[in-house]
Amino acid sequence: MKASLLSAALLCLGGEAAACGYCVEDKIAATYDHAVVTRALQRGQHLAFFHVDGPEPRPEATRRALEHAASMPGVDKASVRISADLLTLSLAFDPRHVPLAAIVERLDRRLSARKLSVLPLRIMERPADLTSVKR
Amino acid sequence: MKKLLSLAVLAALAACEPSAPPDPYDVSKMDFTSKAAKVTAQGHKGAFAEGAALSMGAELKRLDAAPVKTVRLDTTHKVIEIAPGVKFSAWTFGDQVPGPTVRARVGDKIRFVMTNRSDEPAPVPQLVAAPMMHSMDFHAAMVSPQDKYRSIAPGQTIEFEFTANYPGIFMYHCGTPMILEHIASGMYGAVIVEPRGGYPTKADREYVVVQSEFYVKPSPGKQKVDGGPLYVLDGERLRAAQPTHTVFNGRHNGMVVNPLAAKPGERVRMFVLNVGPSKTSSFHVVGTIFDRVWMEGNPDNQMRGMQTVLLGSSNSAIVEYLIPEEGSYIMVDHHFANASQGAIGLVSTSAKPPAQDLEHHNMQASATPTDPDAVAGKQAFESKCLACHSVGGGRKLGPDVAGVTKRRDPAWLARWLKEPEKMLQTDPAAKAMLKEYNNLPMPNQSLSEAEIKQYLKYFQWIDAQPPGALKTQASGH
Repeated sequence: MKASLLSAALLCLGGEAAACGYCVEDKIAATYDHAVVTRALQRGQHLAFFHVDGPEPRPEATRRALEHAASMPGVDKASVRISADLLTLSLAFDPRHVPLAAIVERLDRRLSARKLSVLPLRIMERPADLTSVKR
Repeated sequence: MKKLLSLAVLAALAACEPSAPPDPYDVSKMDFTSKAAKVTAQGHKGAFAEGAALSMGAELKRLDAAPVKTVRLDTTHKVIEIAPGVKFSAWTFGDQVPGPTVRARVGDKIRFVMTNRSDEPAPVPQLVAAPMMHSMDFHAAMVSPQDKYRSIAPGQTIEFEFTANYPGIFMYHCGTPMILEHIASGMYGAVIVEPRGGYPTKADREYVVVQSEFYVKPSPGKQKVDGGPLYVLDGERLRAAQPTHTVFNGRHNGMVVNPLAAKPGERVRMFVLNVGPSKTSSFHVVGTIFDRVWMEGNPDNQMRGMQTVLLGSSNSAIVEYLIPEEGSYIMVDHHFANASQGAIGLVSTSAKPPAQDLEHHNMQASATPTDPDAVAGKQAFESKCLACHSVGGGRKLGPDVAGVTKRRDPAWLARWLKEPEKMLQTDPAAKAMLKEYNNLPMPNQSLSEAEIKQYLKYFQWIDAQPPGALKTQASGH
């Protein structure tokens, strides 16, 4: 967990350095869905984009695990987007009901059996405004 | 004493020798510094492309003397026509495909700004792709990709700058995953960087030619544009590197319809960039020889007296040649499968090239079916069959396909396309044809039922054209 937090901190502080070798924004682009973004922001939800870390080699298994893990109160199930190729997860959540830290914690807990974890990359609270995640 | 004198003479001689010219590639004199890129949520509502250093079409503007070039290239989604009747849902830089050409000189600073305007309302929103993230990757720059080439969301603006350190013709493109799709959808263009002292020759005309491929299919949602089908990216063909169109400057046979001008005796300097994304170009101009070829657009990489120049994806060259006499000089990708898909253009000494030139060179100028099956059939025919068959140009290794639907019934043609080898054993007409064509059998192309249907639709379309409507398609060079 400490290692994950350190990685996340490096990702956020470093701005664009990504552990996977891809630019952070490119990973975000892999799951960016403008319709989801527009709808979520209109509802007062925030968007969160995560790097998925771990050894899972099977894209479909990863996808299923992430879909399952992201199904939780406060997260808009229909907003979940996954790129198994670029190992990215994004979702819209209602910050009035669940803070981002709680989502990260639940995702990590649910994914731990598969030795997967998530690193928050960016959060979008307003249109066209992707900001680093403060932890 | 004598020895000392000799040494002094040698030293004096060495001092008199002219000093070596400065190395134009001295990295210690290059500028690798640049401010961090700035990303904001500030939109832009003005022109999609701005800057004195930009040329919008094939004809290149002269170099802007300002040492700092401020350039705006916004990203948009729009429908463009890549061939007659083929309206494609494209993604662009500067609202055009290819994007505008940036022209600079070694040592110039490019100050670049780009707003992602893919979310702007389109006249018919369902015809354009949903807004998405985009980015800019300048091959002319030496910068941190993680800083300068980062993807930005719809509504965001990115600004960064770089110094042009090397002369050349460099590609720019969107680098957002999946990059292949972004390039194949139209997000590319050229940056021309002149040597610090200019080019060693004087040209009368300067043109930029960008070769690229399109991979399109009628929209599965059957959307219509101006009564015809909307075409969208065909992911399967894209990944298999099987283009439907290979074009110069974004348009099938575009510079046949609108030739580039030149006069007899003039020297033409052509900046050629093959952006691909997946095919090689064997660029050739019929009727002349390249006096000089500067690979990658750098005069230090010079070759003389070349007939073609071979360019992989993202390779470029300046080719210079003389126009020897009146005529229309035909630019082609000498991979003729590519030329037959639209990679053809003219440099002409007359405003309207004479029709016989086109006929002589056997390239269809504009007639194209609009039925999607017939369009697919045409594309397949031009990719696979033109080496042996013409369309109205007479017999070649095999028969002319013009009139074939009048000579044979559809069932016979369908069987012939599906199993030519079996027909040659059992069918009298097939046997007679084999004898007539020097016992050269037609190869089995392993066509599916759907592909056979497309071929037949195309043949029927050919035979429905009024006499003289089709330019002949007989052979290449």
